[in-house]
Amino acid sequence: MADENLSGETVENPSATTDEPSLFASLLAPRYLVGLLGVVVFALLPFLGVSTTQLLVLIGALYFGLFAMSWDTVSGYTGEISFGHAIFFAVGGYTSALLNLGHGVPPTLSIPAGVVLAAVAGVLIGVPALRLRGPYLSLVTLVAPLILLQTFIVYGGIFGGELGLSSPASLVTADEFELVVVANYYIALGLFLAVMLALLLLMRSGLGSVLTAIREDEDAVAAAGLDVAKFKVFAFVLSAAVGGLAGAMFVHTPVGSPQPSQLLGLIVSIEVLIAAILGGMGTIVGAGLGGVFFYFTNDLLNQQDATIPLVDVGVNEASLLLFALLAMVIVYFLPQGIFPSAIRAGRRGLRRARGGETVATDGGRGPDEATEGSDATNPIEQTAERYRRALDALNDRFDGGENE
Amino acid sequence: MVDVANILINGVVISSLYALVAIGFTMIFGVGGTINLAHGAVITIGAFAAYYVTTAGFGIWAGVFAAIAVPALFSVLLYKGFAERRSDNVIVVMILTLLASIVVEEVIRIVEGSQPRAIPTLVAGNTEILGNAVQNNLLVAVVLSWVLIGGLFAFINYTSTGKAILATSMSPRGAALVGIESDRINLYTWAIAGVLAGLAGLFLGSYQTANWAMGREPLILSFSIVVLGGLGSIRGSLVAAYVIGFLEVITTSAIDPRLSGLAGLVILVLVLLVRPEGLFGRELAEA
Repeated sequence: MADENLSGETVENPSATTDEPSLFASLLAPRYLVGLLGVVVFALLPFLGVSTTQLLVLIGALYFGLFAMSWDTVSGYTGEISFGHAIFFAVGGYTSALLNLGHGVPPTLSIPAGVVLAAVAGVLIGVPALRLRGPYLSLVTLVAPLILLQTFIVYGGIFGGELGLSSPASLVTADEFELVVVANYYIALGLFLAVMLALLLLMRSGLGSVLTAIREDEDAVAAAGLDVAKFKVFAFVLSAAVGGLAGAMFVHTPVGSPQPSQLLGLIVSIEVLIAAILGGMGTIVGAGLGGVFFYFTNDLLNQQDATIPLVDVGVNEASLLLFALLAMVIVYFLPQGIFPSAIRAGRRGLRRARGGETVATDGGRGPDEATEGSDATNPIEQTAERYRRALDALNDRFDGGENE
Repeated sequence: MVDVANILINGVVISSLYALVAIGFTMIFGVGGTINLAHGAVITIGAFAAYYVTTAGFGIWAGVFAAIAVPALFSVLLYKGFAERRSDNVIVVMILTLLASIVVEEVIRIVEGSQPRAIPTLVAGNTEILGNAVQNNLLVAVVLSWVLIGGLFAFINYTSTGKAILATSMSPRGAALVGIESDRINLYTWAIAGVLAGLAGLFLGSYQTANWAMGREPLILSFSIVVLGGLGSIRGSLVAAYVIGFLEVITTSAIDPRLSGLAGLVILVLVLLVRPEGLFGRELAEA
């Protein structure tokens, strides 16, 4: 979907040639500045008069954003859509909660255990489904969480059935509840940013290119001698582990608890999909922000008493319907999602403001007039275009030489 | 003591209804290469169309008509709106149909609430089979399922339109080369799938009950069915519907009712590991 590389300026190979911006300069590019500003605003929120209740919602939103990024790692990049990602969220959350409640394992150890088990679940689901081509992964992932939920209900004595388990020990303890919330908020924010950075670096590396290539043309990747299934399974298991981490951390906060409605319901899987679509698939940052936005807005809508005019239905009751409709409109008209579209719009705006100065869209070379005004949208086309112009220029020189 | 006759009867009824659902699902995939995740919502729409028409006092036969016409129309709209316009991107169609099914479910949940609704039976009375009183309505369902499926086979094998559908499912490019309009063929497929699923919804609504989430379980069992039968194979879906249907009835009535859906998944995973092309599937490269 996101056909273009959105990385903007090069980060991987700074100053390979003299005309490229340095790493430092590229970090000063507008979109990174906006990003940094966002981080600063998020970091200052507890001091900006945000209430404890709202901070609690934000903690949940950050973990949901983490979860959305994990979904994006596999679905946005490889194009293998997981319809049941909640299974990893749940495996992580339940494992950690059960170890803590039943065996007194402290959260610092039970959370890693949850991550490991979620990764194992990723192997169990991913290997049989991803060795095949076509929609098998989607079919299997849609069924898997329902089966897990069934198991939880059958063994209700252990897993608490549909009502779920009681809350496990909190990750941080303090005398004042407010302090606990603020600490949890910073842990969530730190983890969110760390995972975002890690996934971004990974996806900007060779791995990300291979995964994107798989999404575009599986045969071509296989023809290049790469084991497509291996890469897909790796992305899937990585994604499962991150999803498990999000779930495991979430249950140890004051806002999350090990309940099917929070961790495992079919709705959770669909919500994460909607969130990532809203933000922009295949961008990590977009998916993460989409997750935060979705959770926060959904919570806001659920607390509204207002009713929608004409149909007389409470906003809180119809929130999922509204989001589904919104996601439908976005998939239909803006298939790249809001975040990539915003970047592109921002670039266009900047170009206009600076009077023609372009910002690179190919993730590599700085802007030059070769691609100015051309239709070339991807790096290959742009390179071809430059090559053609260079040839033309050369031709002109030779022609000029003859005439002299 | 496990009641064998009861399992047999329930198994046949459920399997014949699953067959209706799965055949439509697999046809859409076989012909257009699209996974229609709103297929479960089509079932729900069929059931509720029948429910509204009958409770409005038009009689059950008008309800049957509604359960045919409304789902078929909805299915055609899905095709026209999503699948045809975005036919270049299978993933987008999958996501759009999933969202559409959420929209349908949520609208029904908000309007109707989560209370189950009973759809009146087509025919009254019971017939005794193997010492069990079986509703005549269910017999009608089984017979109708076979008549429809038989008719579909005849249609596909003996009419020119049917042969065009078959040709498109085998090779869209080849079919296009001999002048078959794939858009029209796809439209027929979606309409047929809508009719079959709508009728399945009608009978599921009178056999069990109708509610906003009633389409989920048949849709999800359809996955197991079409994977077992071979993605895109109608014959395979028919056989697999009975295998999965019976396994489902046996596990829920003889072992534990809470295990519903488990047999389907076990089969699904086994098939993926052992024979991913399914019982009657073509080579995976084609699919």
